[in-house]
Formats: sequence, structure tokens, C-alpha cells
Amino acid sequence: MKFTHRLIVYLGLAVFYLFLLGPMAWLVLSSFRTSDSIQSGHIWPAFSEFTLYNYIEAFKLNNFPQLVGNSIFIATSVMLLVVFFGSLGAYGLSRFPLKGKPYLMLASLLPQFFPYVLVLVPFYVLMSNLSLVDTHIGLILTHTSITLPFALWMLTGYFNAIPRELDQAAAIDGCSRFAILFRILYPIALPGLVVAGFFAFVVSWGDYLFVSILSQSEATQTLPLGLQSFLQSLQVKWGLITAGTVIAIIPTILFFAVVQRRLVAGLTAGAVKS
Amino acid sequence: MDTKETAFQPPKAPKAIEYRTPFLVRLWKESFGYLLLLPALAIILGLNLYPTTYGIFTSFTDQSLLDPNHYNLIGLANYFKLFADPIFQLSFLHSVELTASAVLLQVLFGLILAHLLIQRVPGIQVFRSLAMVTWVLPIIAAVVIFRFFTLPNYGLFNLVLTQIGLGQWTRNWFGDENFAFLVVLLMHLWRNIPFYAIAFMAAMQAIPQDLYEAARIDGATRWHRLIFITLPNLRYIILVMVVLHVTFTFNNFDFVFLSTGGGPVNATEVLPTYIYKQAWSGYALGYASAGGVVMLIVLVILVTICRRVIGGYQTE
Repeated sequence: MKFTHRLIVYLGLAVFYLFLLGPMAWLVLSSFRTSDSIQSGHIWPAFSEFTLYNYIEAFKLNNFPQLVGNSIFIATSVMLLVVFFGSLGAYGLSRFPLKGKPYLMLASLLPQFFPYVLVLVPFYVLMSNLSLVDTHIGLILTHTSITLPFALWMLTGYFNAIPRELDQAAAIDGCSRFAILFRILYPIALPGLVVAGFFAFVVSWGDYLFVSILSQSEATQTLPLGLQSFLQSLQVKWGLITAGTVIAIIPTILFFAVVQRRLVAGLTAGAVKS
Repeated sequence: MDTKETAFQPPKAPKAIEYRTPFLVRLWKESFGYLLLLPALAIILGLNLYPTTYGIFTSFTDQSLLDPNHYNLIGLANYFKLFADPIFQLSFLHSVELTASAVLLQVLFGLILAHLLIQRVPGIQVFRSLAMVTWVLPIIAAVVIFRFFTLPNYGLFNLVLTQIGLGQWTRNWFGDENFAFLVVLLMHLWRNIPFYAIAFMAAMQAIPQDLYEAARIDGATRWHRLIFITLPNLRYIILVMVVLHVTFTFNNFDFVFLSTGGGPVNATEVLPTYIYKQAWSGYALGYASAGGVVMLIVLVILVTICRRVIGGYQTE
């Protein structure tokens, strides 16, 4: 009974994980193969066909290092801004008696549901009026605005779960209102802050739509745009494309490994009734 | 008399000592909460709500990307043109089909995977921690992975098909009119099923075990326990996930645009890609905005339907 039960569970998991991880493993394996080896039609390459050549070549492509640099700079800035402004706003929503609070919450969450393609046109006009087209600041602001609603919503839930007695005790001990946020709430809500930051980072890192409109030169292009142009221009050089993709994946995977345990609790905060 | 009456009066607080918080200090104290929220709200509303409102306005004009500063109000003309446009109708149909089939299958497979992941078998922790890895990848990476996996001559999928004797099935899956839509659907499933599974798993673990114990004593079968205990307890999280993903799938532009561009021969064209092309390749900003407004309305209807069908949680 116990044995058959385990067997069924493992078989089920095997089917799911083959579907989920198989295509990914194939990409990673191929990124270490020579182009001839990839095109040979053999599933498992000979040992001599493994190489780091693709990675070295990818970094030699004229603008690849710049793409990586832009992506890291923009995604990191977005992450920091979202965590900072998101936690300030969440502190306000969670701890102060604001008039019309439900409406403020709704107004800040609603944009999450608007079709991006509808926002895109006026967005472009707005950004060009502010002279922010093709600038890092423009992209950072854009990504901040699309990830902030979720962060604000999630962090408000996190702060609400922290007992108010803690702030009151700190206030009696002479803590200022900013100090309460930074010295009392931040350490306790750290998992929430990390998840909010992670979410912002991942969305910014992976965004194609907004970058394709607002970035008009190599100076501000990010990895998704670069990969798309590789895909079109390097038609048969799959070795380079796979290596470039693996490089684009690595930061999100590393970050994911750090926050993995907290991710679900954060993403569905308030969704599971207690 | 006078002295007696006044003796019972409560003593008046001497005015000179009364303390009033200075106006500026009071303003600072009372508006502190609003000030905290201000930057976030300014960024969100300034960069989302304003463009959306403006976009709705644009849909009633003939604005063009070539000369965005000169336009005329043309009423509902864009909308009439839109509903008569066969490719718009096709994209509309595809969008609804994709959203409905993706979300339904995701809930179904999400429940199955969640059920597997709550089993206490050795090594289950590894499966749990690996689960959401597909969800964190940039969509362009998912597209590269799938295109590479299904390449006609040396993609693993076609190689395996050949190996197991189904060689006549090999094809360029993204380039095939009959299968491209299916591969796009598959990418949506690939990315999101683990997210559903992990969320459902967390909710399943929160269901009190004594409910199951009591049901077992009353002689309920596994099936009964699933229908009468597990699913009702998951109703709220299912609603949350469905609303999130109806929005995500219906609005998603990247999967289709980056993998097939809407082709072959419009076989995978969805509303976001069609509208995008109208604006940025066809320069018809007003026309594209009208399409965006239609999307917004459809989305509101879809979310309302989901709340009606799954909802009812508010009365609990």
C-alpha cells in the first residue's frame, strides 16, 4: 500500500517535472555544445563536443556586455525604489488613519489590471514630453510604476500582521515615526520586503514590451531586447543564442534560490484565509 | 446666594495655560500618513491612471503616430471600424480562447500537482523548492527555450519523436498553422502551473486535519473528501489565482509577439499583438486605443464572471 502510493506520487511528479525542466535542461546542455554538435541531431553529445566557446563568443558580441550592464542597473534600481516607496506607502496605509483608505487602496491596485497596450501609447507621448524616452530614468520609472501596486498591496498586508503594541512600545521609548518604520517594522517584515524586491526585479529584468517602445538605442537596451534581436539576426547560431539565454537566466535563478522559501507566502499574502 | 450658586460651578481652566498645538506641527502630524503614501501614489497614478484615461480619450480621435499633436474628434468611428475588421474579430476570438483554455487547464493541473506536492514522500522538499523556477524566467527566455526545444531538424522534441518511431509527426511546431496556437498555450501552462500548484499547496496545508479525520470516521471516500472538504476550502485561493491569471493571460503580449509574432497567417494573433501592431507599425493611435478600450471592457466582464462563478466567498 505504502509502496504503491509512493510509486504513483513519484510517477506523477516525474511527468510534471519532465515537462517543466526538460526543455530548460536541453537549453543548458546545448549552450555547452559546439554548433556542429547541436546540428548533428544526436541527443547526447560526445565528451569532446563540450565547450565554453559559446559563452566566450557571446561576451564578444559588440553590445552584449552593455546589455547585461543596462539590465542589472535598471532592475536593481527598480527593486530599490519599489521597496523604498512601497514600504513608505504601506506604512502609511497600515498605521495611520487615512480618509477614504479603501479608495486609496483600490486606486493604487487597479492599474495592475489595465491592458498594457492601452497604456502604451499615451505613456510614450507622456515620456517624450518629459524627454525621458531612451533614458535609463524613463525605463526605471516605468518599471517602478508597473510593479509598485503589487508591492504596496503585499507590504500593507505584511505590516498589518505586525502587532501595533510593538510600535507603541517603541514610541513610548522615544522612537520617532520614521525610526519605527526603519528599526521596528523593517527587520520584522524583511521576508516581505525581499519578496516585493524580488518581484520588482524579475518583472523589470524580463520586461520586453515597455523597453521595446522606450528604448531606441543600444545605450538603454536590456537583455530581452538583445535576445530578441539575436533570435532574428543570428538565425542558425543557436550555440550563441542558448548561451546568451542562460546568462540572462542566471541572475533570476540565483535570486530565486535565496527567496524561494518566502516567495509563495509573499505572493499569496492574504489570499489564504487564516 | 450668589456665592453659593457659583460654588457649584466647575472651576474654569485658566486660559493663559491652555496649550494649543501650533498649526504647522498639527498639519505635519495629521498629514504624515498621507505624505508617506504620496510618492507611491504619485508614481502609480501619474504613470498609469493618467495614461489610461488619456488612452480612452484617444480612442475617440483619429490621432496618428506620425503627427500626434494634431487630431480630430471622430466619435465612435474607430469602434465601428474595429467591429467590422475581420482580423480584429479573429484576434478577439483567439484571446478569449487562449485565456479560457489556459486558465481552466492551469487550475486543473495546478490542483493535481499541488495534490502530489503535499504527499509526504522522501525528497518532496526538493520538488517543492524547484517548482516555481519556470515562473521567474524572463518570458523571452521561455520563448527561446520552447523554440529551441521544437526546432524542426535538431530540437529535442522532434528528435525524440523520430527515435520512438513517430518520425512523420516531426514538424516546425511554431511555423505550423494548426499547431502554433497549441504551442503558445503550452508555454502559458509551462510558466504558470507551478505557481498555481504552490499556492494551492499552501492553502491545502492550512485546512485543519480534523476535518479529514471526522470525514473518514463518517465513512467518506477519498473522492468525497476532495469534493466536500478540499475544494470548498480552496475556493478563495482559486478565485484569486483565476482573476490574476485571466488578467495576465488576456493582457499578455510577450509570449505571442516574441514566439510567432501573431503568425503563421494570423493563426496566433491575439488582441495585445494586433493592437500593438496597429499603433507602432500602422501608426493608427486612435484606432489602437479603441482596441485597448474594448480589451479593458472585456476584462472587466471576464473578471466579473469569474467572481460570480467561483465567488460567493464574501457571504461566508
